Amino acid sequence: MVNPIYIVAIALGVSFAIGVLNKLGRNFTGSLVLAAVSVMTFISYQWFAAFQFGEQTAKMIYTAGFMPPLSINLLMGHYEAFITLMINVIGLIGGIYMFNSLKKRGYNAQVIYLVLLMGLNVMVMTRDLFNLFVFLEISSIAIAGLILLEKGTRSMGAGFKYILATSIISGFLLLGIIFAYYFTGSLNLDDVVAANLSSIKGGALAAFMIMIAIILEIKPFPANGWGLDVYEGSDVGLSAVISGASATASFFVLYKVMDIAGVEWNYYISIIGAITFVGSNLLGIAQKNTRRMLGYSSIGQLGLLMMILGFRDILGEQTPYIAFGILISHYFAKAGLFWLSGIVKSKSLKGWSNIRKKPFFLFLMGTFIFALIGFPPFPSFFAKWTLVMELVQTGNMTWVIAILFGSMMEAVYLFRWFGYAIKGENEHLEDFKIKIHKITPVWIAAIGLYVIGYFTAQFTEVGAAINFIPLAFVGLLLAIDFLPVMIKNTIAITGMALHFYFVYPELEGDTLRLIFEGIFMVGGILALIAGYAYKGKRSGFYPVAILMYAGLTAIIEAGTTLEFFYGWELMTAGSYFLIIRGKRSMSHGLSYMLFSIGGAYALLAAFGMAHVGQDSFAMDILNTITYIPTWAYGLLIVGFLTKTAAVGLHIWLPGAHGEAESDVSPMVSAILLKAGVFGIVLTLIGMGAENNQYSELAYALGWLGAITALVGNLMAIFQEDAKRLLAYSSIGQLGYIVLGLAMMTHLGWLGGFSYVINHFLYKAVLFMTIGAVVMRVGTHNMYEMGGLIKRMPLAFLAVMIGIIALSGVPPLSGFAGKWLFYNAILDKGWYFQGAVMFFSGGLAFLYLWRLIHTVFLGQLKDNHRNVKEISIWFLIPIYTLIAGLMVFAAKPQWVLQPMGDMIAQFFPTGQLVWDGGTAISQYGYWAGSLVGVTIGASFVFVLFWLLVSTRKAHKVKQFDITYSGERPERPETTHVAYNVFEGFYQAMWIATIPMVETFWNRVTEVLHETAEFTRKIYSGNGQAYMLHIVFFILVTYLVIIGG
Amino acid sequence: MMEYLELGHIGLIIGFLLILVGFWGVLTQKNIIKIIVGFSILNTGINILMVSLGYVKGKTAPIIDAAVAQGEGHDVSQSIVDPVPQALVLTAIVIGFGITALMLAYAMKLYNAKKTLEINKFNDLKW
Repeated sequence: MVNPIYIVAIALGVSFAIGVLNKLGRNFTGSLVLAAVSVMTFISYQWFAAFQFGEQTAKMIYTAGFMPPLSINLLMGHYEAFITLMINVIGLIGGIYMFNSLKKRGYNAQVIYLVLLMGLNVMVMTRDLFNLFVFLEISSIAIAGLILLEKGTRSMGAGFKYILATSIISGFLLLGIIFAYYFTGSLNLDDVVAANLSSIKGGALAAFMIMIAIILEIKPFPANGWGLDVYEGSDVGLSAVISGASATASFFVLYKVMDIAGVEWNYYISIIGAITFVGSNLLGIAQKNTRRMLGYSSIGQLGLLMMILGFRDILGEQTPYIAFGILISHYFAKAGLFWLSGIVKSKSLKGWSNIRKKPFFLFLMGTFIFALIGFPPFPSFFAKWTLVMELVQTGNMTWVIAILFGSMMEAVYLFRWFGYAIKGENEHLEDFKIKIHKITPVWIAAIGLYVIGYFTAQFTEVGAAINFIPLAFVGLLLAIDFLPVMIKNTIAITGMALHFYFVYPELEGDTLRLIFEGIFMVGGILALIAGYAYKGKRSGFYPVAILMYAGLTAIIEAGTTLEFFYGWELMTAGSYFLIIRGKRSMSHGLSYMLFSIGGAYALLAAFGMAHVGQDSFAMDILNTITYIPTWAYGLLIVGFLTKTAAVGLHIWLPGAHGEAESDVSPMVSAILLKAGVFGIVLTLIGMGAENNQYSELAYALGWLGAITALVGNLMAIFQEDAKRLLAYSSIGQLGYIVLGLAMMTHLGWLGGFSYVINHFLYKAVLFMTIGAVVMRVGTHNMYEMGGLIKRMPLAFLAVMIGIIALSGVPPLSGFAGKWLFYNAILDKGWYFQGAVMFFSGGLAFLYLWRLIHTVFLGQLKDNHRNVKEISIWFLIPIYTLIAGLMVFAAKPQWVLQPMGDMIAQFFPTGQLVWDGGTAISQYGYWAGSLVGVTIGASFVFVLFWLLVSTRKAHKVKQFDITYSGERPERPETTHVAYNVFEGFYQAMWIATIPMVETFWNRVTEVLHETAEFTRKIYSGNGQAYMLHIVFFILVTYLVIIGG
Repeated sequence: MMEYLELGHIGLIIGFLLILVGFWGVLTQKNIIKIIVGFSILNTGINILMVSLGYVKGKTAPIIDAAVAQGEGHDVSQSIVDPVPQALVLTAIVIGFGITALMLAYAMKLYNAKKTLEINKFNDLKW
């Protein structure tokens, strides 16, 4: 085992040697520096491996032949080995990244870089307070020195502010250390801790000064303008090293010296951390400069880590695991993003849209952003999960709210940035070159995140249960992304079919899960078949589509709340990418993501509450929530309602579904929305059928469903865009489902479930058909279509059947849902909700006929004279689904009977009685086949009669209509179907005011204004920054020590 | 007078005063050179404070020479002041020197860039 003192010795030796050897050229000296860092990395790794995999115990290293306190001593323990390894790894790959920029600045810069790393290493290992001060100063001087050797005034100003601020801070540190020595007679950290400074009169001041200085080194909000300027202004490689290595070292130093101050400081450290985390992330929202925004994010993450340190008594033995997960994710992700920003070069966030030309860049950027926000499979996901579980367990809900709020803010600006990169305007942006030595470190960071994430999961019992095979399949699809659609589509379909085949036996007997898994998997395969209609590579589509399905199936198979949450987040990530693929979908993708993350955090908090007082994380803990259960169930419902797009949380849906690609719309509408329904079903099962304690919650949910149904249908009426019409209609349909489930009766659930299946079937048919039509005619606007029945009879028939089913008229299956619903309403006695629903059902007719009338009937447009029937690859799944609709219509008992048996487990009373194909409730009976035959016969009769009676009718050709010499400037105004409901709108306009959107816009505005106003304190003046530091110290002093 | 104000206390008071003067200079002067001077004064104050804290009444400097009684039966540490703060001050002076040099180098480059030493003028990076 190499003595860790060699880390220092090698760094110093090489530095001095370069002073002599610099004649050999900068390439040589640069390589020598990298070689030295490699050796330092190896030493750290060797120790880390011995601790991690062997029996190594912590080793004290003494210097100068004396024992402390007479000499300086270093400690190499498990944590020290790990942290120095982190520092040296980032030093090594960051050094590769900076090779040329250091070379340009001369061998002095190369030496300073090495000294910086050495300083950070010693800061971590030393047990001597004064030595800590010295190496802190060495690191600060090294950073400022590296900036000094750069060109340009911007970085110069940043460097000067940095050295001013750190000098003030180190002055306080030095004073604190000397007083600590005065009171304890030793500079050795362990002696000082043992002397218990705060019990000595005056000692508390010494401890205060040391603590506040170390905290200030972590750049707490708002005394951190100097840090932000350096992140923004310095060489990007140096920013990465500061964020990855220097911040990590400072964080560890805080951990080391915390014992000096005693446990009462824990609380204050958490407070400062929370203020930093929330404040920085809030201000990050107002940023337009990439580098500065990353700086805000870095500081925010360190704030979160400070909070975790402060919680160490609460978190107990989980503290290292949590801190590790957050730290390592931030370490790789932030360094990676800084490195990327150095390659892309654009300063503004919007300038990042030129990276779209290089898809793997998007993959790297996405990896880092998802890791920062805490998505699976990254370490931060598991850390954040454990953190929230532990905090809720110990009754610290306020902290959880602060953490989730801060994370939410961070998601706002990171995903907005990501949206610019994926979908921003990129026509006038110049291309950039990628050098191999700059992109390699980025890849290492990204791969590191995946690998470490996997091992982080294995570390806990619940995490180890997660099935990573679907995710590996996503990775495979990513690797073969260069292949044509034909091959990838076949592989994707095969993968899903195989998965369903293997999962089916496990779910057999569990009708509830089987229904949803069937919708997800069978529906998914059918939607994928439509993908054969696409040509070329369809780059990036398959990994994200399968990512969504991997998440969906994980939700169904989840045995623990962690697995459920894991699946939920995968599904969110996958669907986000699917949605943002559509045209003009940047803002919709962002709002979808933000609502999803907000919802996911509500779920996370609720899962935490469910875990209180329980040892396990099994899903059935949701059935026995004892810790403020009404809140817990309420949070669960709100979380799931973000996915079903209940009114108030729905504003993302119309745009997201309307703008999505033709085969993506059915995926995210017919299939994805059911995930939220599944969640609500689980929640309601958890609340229990007979439990009156939650009847108010269910009542509120019922009204929410009814209003959602009304709003969705009402808005659908006034749409001119066919896909948005269907999207709003989905909102309404989901409202029915929520209302049905909220009734908490047998019939209510049966109605709700039959809507689940029906909505899946007909909405998939309608979205696929309309989507396929849109692919042919190239517009979403209905008034630009017309007469397509002649060109696309099969599409016409599909839409016809779809809207008959959706409107709920016999003979098709929608009627089953309606019939069950009205029975359930009467049964429950919710007459007002029933009236709202009845009215909404009527509204549905007003928009549904337009899909036939405006799109398929009337005159064919000139430019559509030669369009072909929709693609065969769409027709196959469409007619398969129609066959499903027909079976449901003809033999409803095949579906409803097993469903009734399943629901009877939860709601045994009030079941339907089946007599063959006839369902009998207390209000009447319904025989599906009989109704079908009757209606069918009437239809044929009427058709026949019409054919006979209209034989002599004059056919109106297109040019029978004249414009009376008027040349219409806006052709849509002459279309009979344009604004067809104007009169109705006059009556109903008050209900269509986008109140919800206005509300959310206002929330966004308030956040932006606050951020915009607050960030003005960072005036850019170095002296102001020093004043911030002094004020920060004074305020903290008054709070902690007391005035 | 000297009976009430022993050497150690004088050092402490002067040190504190210098620290305050240094802070005042650093926080109020707009000229970069004056700010750097402020830092030097601040550092000097801290150094004096450190030495004064190690002072023990009636003891001599921790240098083994004629002033320190040596030989059998004499514990050297009984007749000298605490040597550790003095050693620390030496290091602190070196670091202070390094910082001052770095700041002056910055001052030079900043002046070359904008032909001014007003700290208010160097706020390109903000918010």
